[in-house]
Amino acid sequence: MRALTPEELARAEDRLRNPAPGSRIEAAKKFGIDLTLLIGQLRLTPAERARQMHEVCQIAERVRGAARKRKP
Amino acid sequence: MNVDAAIQALVDAGVEFVIIGGWSAILHGSRYGTSALDICYARNSENSRRLVRALAPYHPRLRGLPKGLPFIWAQATLRDGTIIRLDTDLGKIDLLAEVAGLGTFDEMTAGSIVTEAFGRQVRTLDLKSLIKAKRAAGRDKDLMVLPELESLLEAEEP
Repeated sequence: MRALTPEELARAEDRLRNPAPGSRIEAAKKFGIDLTLLIGQLRLTPAERARQMHEVCQIAERVRGAARKRKP
Repeated sequence: MNVDAAIQALVDAGVEFVIIGGWSAILHGSRYGTSALDICYARNSENSRRLVRALAPYHPRLRGLPKGLPFIWAQATLRDGTIIRLDTDLGKIDLLAEVAGLGTFDEMTAGSIVTEAFGRQVRTLDLKSLIKAKRAAGRDKDLMVLPELESLLEAEEP
């Protein structure tokens, strides 16, 4: 797995911005998936995607910890 | 979940495993979060020994086991089931000897890829295999992520 080349990324972005009728991408859009978020993810390397989610998890954990402490 | 530390501990101990589930989806670009690290490991004696040694410092316990009940983390624990769900100091780690729709570690390596992430070279499911596994698992949380994964697959097709 690797980051997409500029050409691959441009093609993927175009497909996500302009889903072909009857495509799985169109179905996902109708399902409620925010395709612009996927474009953002495709611009990252797998390592960057993992790091981003890791940071989100760490923040969520801190918030949960703080909420637990505030419970009477 | 300190996934970096968990992955690094496994890789550095020489454990043969494939990242599956939510973290595999994240590596492919999914925006769905996950509460556990799911891995499928090679279930041979040497690999089981390495896995046990790698996680031992993080005090693994079977998830849901009432406090006070004794639990011994050992190779025998892995022999007791094909799915072992653990709470550890690093977070939830699920160890699978087999994955629905894909089979064992040896059977799924053809449908996996190696990538750089978590500060290490790691093996994870390729997108087609991940979709197959999610569909086979069939739980709401697995099916919910399918539209996103299928979009990523279609977007990346040549």
